[in-house]
Amino acid sequence: MKLYLYGIIDSSDQVKDSIYGLEGACVYNIPYCDIGAVVSEFTESVQTKTKGSVLAHEQVVERLMEHFTVLPVRFHTVLDGRDGVLSLMQSYYKDFRDNLDRLRNKVEFGIKVIWPSDKIKEQIINTYKEGNKKVLISSDSPNKRFIRKKFERYVINEEFQKRANKYIKVMDIFFSKFAAEKKTEKLKTENLLMDAVYLVEKDKERNFREAFEHVKSARPDFKYLFSGPWPAYNFVILPKNSDLLKDSKQEDLFDKVVQHQELVGAEKI
Amino acid sequence: MTLNSVVETDFPEEFVEEMEKSQDVLPKKIDANPENVEKGLAKLVLTLIELIRKLLEKQAMRRVEAGSLSEEEIERVGETLMKLENKMEELKQIFGLEDKELNLNLGPLGDLM
Repeated sequence: MKLYLYGIIDSSDQVKDSIYGLEGACVYNIPYCDIGAVVSEFTESVQTKTKGSVLAHEQVVERLMEHFTVLPVRFHTVLDGRDGVLSLMQSYYKDFRDNLDRLRNKVEFGIKVIWPSDKIKEQIINTYKEGNKKVLISSDSPNKRFIRKKFERYVINEEFQKRANKYIKVMDIFFSKFAAEKKTEKLKTENLLMDAVYLVEKDKERNFREAFEHVKSARPDFKYLFSGPWPAYNFVILPKNSDLLKDSKQEDLFDKVVQHQELVGAEKI
Repeated sequence: MTLNSVVETDFPEEFVEEMEKSQDVLPKKIDANPENVEKGLAKLVLTLIELIRKLLEKQAMRRVEAGSLSEEEIERVGETLMKLENKMEELKQIFGLEDKELNLNLGPLGDLM
């Protein structure tokens, strides 16, 4: 019998609530030492993501989060029966234990910020044209004209990066105040100023949300996306050769959310 | 079926668009297989040349900014960079590659360029 794995939890006790997962199968815990692997029986051979299956997976993880610390497992992790699960637990027990201790009582929030990159560039170009940073290069040859053009682009781009760094630094000060860990990415596209995930202790969720609202009201010309609380998808650290758990997979998470936007209301995705 | 987690934004389409754009930019692996091995290798080699060219260009710009290049040196650097850029354009055309393809995702280290 194949077993579908949802996550690793910090308990060897049975799941008390009735939780139903993929294919409507009952979810249960397979204990190993003081931790457990939460699974359900699985027969389906189709491996494609469907709206129902992704939601069912996420819902099980969220239900588990109500009572346990959970290491969420990559969608569609299917193992070869109870022996397969126990072998996995044996191989990774120490890593699972370390992660569970580190992530106890913490949840993940995602923040994405779009800035008006065209306007920012325009401002930079105007400032440059006013001559503050101009370097005198004569234009008496094609080679020098080439360098002058390149230099203009270089100065504008450097200033663009500098401003992005400045904005991210300021926003991050507010968010980091209530976060235990973070991962931020700058300018994944010219418009996407910041794409960040923060690991927040459950009792600081409210403060974190308030910090977000504060930043949002301070820069109303930027556009914001706030998501969470999620299981700590982006903060599970496993050995490099393991592809079992989600690490730096915010895109997957995002896709998943986008696919099911209708379930969380028109104003949300 | 409902989730506790929420995603809140007033601009869902724009965020979806930007996320899609950011994922389109780079392949996770070098696309080299028996059918397109020549293009795959060319892409890898040109990516590395492009990286070196950009580093040279940046270094030159820093020197221009610092005012440490003489008129004669600017002339020579300009000629070199222009020729290098033209040659890269030729090579990209020969192998049917675009600028955005000349990059590599280095996993946790981020993008090469």
